[in-house]
Amino acid sequence: MSRPVELHFTLNGAPVCIETRPGRRVLDLLREDFGLAAAKEGCGAGECGACTVLVDGEPKLSCLMLAAQLEGRTVATAEGLGTADAPHPVQAAFAAHGAVQCGYCTPGMTLVAAELLSRNPDPDRETVRQAVSGNLCRCTGYVKIVDAVLAAAKAGQGEKP
Amino acid sequence: MIGAVYRPACLEELWPLLDTGAAAMAGGTDLLVRRRGGEPCDVALLSGIASLGEIVGENGWLRIGAAATHAAMARHPLIRDGLPGLAGALGTLGSPLVRNMGTIGGNIVTASPAADTLPPLYALDARVELVSAGGMRQLALADFLVGPGRTVLMPGEIVAAVLVPPPLAGARHHFEKVGRRNALAVAVASLAAVIATAADGRVAEARIAVGSVAPTVVRCTAAEAALVGRRLTRQTLSEAAACIRQAVSPIDDVRATAAYRRQVAGNLLLRLCPGPDAV
Amino acid sequence: MAGNVMTTRETVPRADALAKATGRERYSADFTPPDCLWAGVRRAGTPHALLTGLDVAAARATDGVAAVLTRADVPGTNRQGIVHKDQPVLCGQRVRHRGDAIALVVAETREALAEGLSRIEATFSPLPGVFDPASALLPDAPAVHPGRQDGNLLAYGLVEKGDAPAALAGCDVVVEGEFSTPMQEHVFLELPNGVARLTPAGVLDMVVSTQAPFRDRFEIAHALGLDPWRIRVRAPYLGGGFGGKDGATVQCLLALAAVNAGGRWVKMVWSREETFVAGYKRHAASMKVRLGAAADGRLCALTCAMHFDAGPYAHLSGEIMALGLEHAGGPYRIPHTRLEGWCAYTNNPVGGAFRGFGVVQASFAVERLMDALAIRLGRDPAGLRRQNALRPGEVNAAGVTAGPGTDVAACLDAVLAHPAWTGREAWKRSAPPFTRRGVGVTAIQNAMGYGRGLPDAAAAKLELTKQGTFRIYNAVPDMGQGNASAFVAMAARALSQPAAAFELVQPDTRVCLPAGSSSASRTTYTFGNALLRACRAMREKLCARAALALLCDDPARLVLSAGVVTDPVSGKAVPLAMLGRMLPRDDRLCVDQFVMPVVENPPDTGRQFKLGFPHRFYSHGACLCAVEVDELTGRVHLAQCVTSVACGRVLSLQGVEQQVHGAAAQGAGLALFEDPALAGGRMAAGDLSTYLIPTAVDLPDFACLALDDDEPTGPMGLRGMGEIGIHGPGPAVAQALYDAAGMWAVRLPVTPQDVLEALGGMPS
Repeated sequence: MSRPVELHFTLNGAPVCIETRPGRRVLDLLREDFGLAAAKEGCGAGECGACTVLVDGEPKLSCLMLAAQLEGRTVATAEGLGTADAPHPVQAAFAAHGAVQCGYCTPGMTLVAAELLSRNPDPDRETVRQAVSGNLCRCTGYVKIVDAVLAAAKAGQGEKP
Repeated sequence: MIGAVYRPACLEELWPLLDTGAAAMAGGTDLLVRRRGGEPCDVALLSGIASLGEIVGENGWLRIGAAATHAAMARHPLIRDGLPGLAGALGTLGSPLVRNMGTIGGNIVTASPAADTLPPLYALDARVELVSAGGMRQLALADFLVGPGRTVLMPGEIVAAVLVPPPLAGARHHFEKVGRRNALAVAVASLAAVIATAADGRVAEARIAVGSVAPTVVRCTAAEAALVGRRLTRQTLSEAAACIRQAVSPIDDVRATAAYRRQVAGNLLLRLCPGPDAV
Repeated sequence: MAGNVMTTRETVPRADALAKATGRERYSADFTPPDCLWAGVRRAGTPHALLTGLDVAAARATDGVAAVLTRADVPGTNRQGIVHKDQPVLCGQRVRHRGDAIALVVAETREALAEGLSRIEATFSPLPGVFDPASALLPDAPAVHPGRQDGNLLAYGLVEKGDAPAALAGCDVVVEGEFSTPMQEHVFLELPNGVARLTPAGVLDMVVSTQAPFRDRFEIAHALGLDPWRIRVRAPYLGGGFGGKDGATVQCLLALAAVNAGGRWVKMVWSREETFVAGYKRHAASMKVRLGAAADGRLCALTCAMHFDAGPYAHLSGEIMALGLEHAGGPYRIPHTRLEGWCAYTNNPVGGAFRGFGVVQASFAVERLMDALAIRLGRDPAGLRRQNALRPGEVNAAGVTAGPGTDVAACLDAVLAHPAWTGREAWKRSAPPFTRRGVGVTAIQNAMGYGRGLPDAAAAKLELTKQGTFRIYNAVPDMGQGNASAFVAMAARALSQPAAAFELVQPDTRVCLPAGSSSASRTTYTFGNALLRACRAMREKLCARAALALLCDDPARLVLSAGVVTDPVSGKAVPLAMLGRMLPRDDRLCVDQFVMPVVENPPDTGRQFKLGFPHRFYSHGACLCAVEVDELTGRVHLAQCVTSVACGRVLSLQGVEQQVHGAAAQGAGLALFEDPALAGGRMAAGDLSTYLIPTAVDLPDFACLALDDDEPTGPMGLRGMGEIGIHGPGPAVAQALYDAAGMWAVRLPVTPQDVLEALGGMPS
């Protein structure tokens, strides 16, 4: 077991400092130390995308990131994207367009979708599918997820996540 | 399980870490999956060494830092526009999430026979630059990779960059990957080709490399020779395809049989057929 | 009546959607009590063996390990199971599949847990294994449960009508075939998990990702010798279930850990690889079928012999086979049937519940044979199906009379009217180079509920809160199908309140009332009906109690509306909030129940099935698949998938579409992608990099056509339809591949190599 180190990074817009073992998975750090449970473990091997978080604005697999890699970075989780009272347009669109069934893939999907819209405000269906191709869903068959992202594009023109 | 995580700021800081047994880590998408449930291991992150992430054109050559992510590479105009075969391969690798993290150096060093960037790099006659405390050496990528998961990397050495020579002028760059699904799929066969044709439509030079059909990527020189001086037709491509099938040595595994891989490796060349009205 | 495709987009918003979309919803996997212990299982890793040695001393001595438990530490019967209790919690003398549990470690951290597990020394004396259900029934097959009277035969069933063997002999044309479908993995995203502790009062308190919290208590109690009434199970929203969390996964092991944890919380989460090895699977099955018809296409006789691979433990194998046999004749009119099935124990992974429950297997066989018949008669496959489509009052293949609204022909017509069918010839002709295109249409059906034997019952509790809002005590877990939202919508409509006035308590055996499992396409129907009854009682009560305050001698004239009861005669009103303060707690509760009606005069067949045969209520549909085949690689692209369903009235079109899209996606996975590569009891595809479910770039925009239909016995006229959509893609893709490439598929998944071979593109 290695020595804990102090890490400084920005989490959902706020600067944080935490002491932890540097080799811990970012997924575990977020869920256990910060109580941010939206990022989920579906496989632990980068094959399902349920652990997606944004690091410096880029969607990444937190089950394959080490805590030490967060030093100096900006991290955003689904909780930071929006709240029930003030949801991000993508989150609102997912809820309204039937893109949420069991909801386990949803946090990852919404982060990827939000990032897509922030650089491509008017994607077509195929582009949306490509963007979420690393996020598995077993419930929806993906159709309404694509519908929701396009609806969010129409509505919000891609607010920055 | 990962123990200590070092963040060297330059190569000089990296060498002593490698000496103590830390593993060099870039994206971690292969290393961390392999190390799950294993003995504790220290890693030295390469992300802090700026020179390793650069993508630069030098005298027509393209120098791709080993720690350049697949996503960064795919976006880079010199690759996106200049090396469309490689760009195409990058688009099929893993998933968008994996591409945001994984690096070309990692793809090369993991040395999977099915690695997606390798066939295009072979078809481009790419070279690798290896560095260590003792200095630098360069070799052909084809000489660096010697078997499934095996390279000639020495202890204390890392891949610093991939060097791509100026491609054949006016050449067509082609890549196709066959997986069992369209994303998050390991290739069961892939083909990369760089083909330069003369004004009369005859092939002047051809480079053909196939992946997932042998312990390492195979440059099909017989297939290349079968095309040189001829036009690309169904007939000529079929003959070259037969050469490809003879050159490969695939295995059966959970994703596909050897017989399927052998057949398809050749079939993929036919994708270069001109339109339906040609012979 | 069925026929028109619904175009009104009446949709019920999902009550849980925003909490899930903003990442706030807490699943069982998200409960990690501070200072909890971690439990994990050492598994056999070999398919059939005697456990000759088990040394846990080093594991026990590991730093951070709190306990290591083996069979000797299991009180009670050490047997879990839903109906048949034949699965050890911890194996003692023998292991019967690679996932069998042999030891349980409880530790302070996950690292210590992993360390402890790795230090367990187990020695095995391998036994010959049996790996297919037909071989398992041969006289000299290795016995999975030695000493068992019927050997490896777990269940046998025969459903027959008329005299099929004789009738076949007299048919103008007979087609036959052997078909098989593989084991399928659920791949719910939330892994099997739970937390449990023994409270100071001696109650076993558990939060678990489960489809059957009420039954879990009995499964745990029987296995461990506990008192079921001293077990509390809470079931939050599941991150997917699909049948794989019906029946104890972690529950008995977790309970065992908890009772040995000195009152501390214990958490158990299976890894993905562990779930592949130890979790339940769809039964692999093989079907030998013969179908006879008249020259004009009228179906005459069907015989079917099915073998189901149960793995070493029963789970719901018999019931799954029964449902398969009941559906083996498709939604068609066939006067003579002989449908026979054998369920055998093997040393493969354990077969259990999975959406489509035996019907997936049976549907593939009968639909393939309909295609064979169409080819033999030179008939179009859609037309042949339409000709033989079951109508109301007609008797189905199992001898049950089709319900009044049955209109399979209308379901077929709906997809045949879709441009994917009407435009198919032009589409096929314009195929790009190296591409062949084809289209297939099949009919689908799925019965609802438990069938006869086990009462398909639910009790619903509804509370008026002190604030004048409402609390629904939901007892059937929501695994993503949206039943929780449906219940809110139903209650809102029944009580003339806005949806926001309703709070839903997710299943908690301490405060909710039993309502059966979340399975069998039953929850919205059965619990919905119970809830509506409770709502009727609540409405009456609110009006009667308000009448006192309003000095009204005719409560029937009072009007219940949002937050208030009004007397239209006097204009006076009583806020529900006042009633909430006025009434004592017992008077604020309404409890009612519902039992799904069963077939009244069941046919005299299928006598072997005590539970689950026959069923009274069916949903019907049809499915069209359009495929593109690549001649160079044999890869199949599913270009279109259109599914029609007749499932009673549609409470929420979005809800029906969600179910159909998702079910069709799983059906497409089974048809083209999901291959467990099972050999010698081991799935070579044992993780998500090798067992491939479709990604977003592997599937088309599924289309769902919900027909205008009505189920008079259903809550607001609806009928369960969570499973039906999964049956279409397998056979429809197979038919489309024949259309595209002359390929005759007899098994799933169809592989690119199969296709290439059919195209003549593989060297022989």
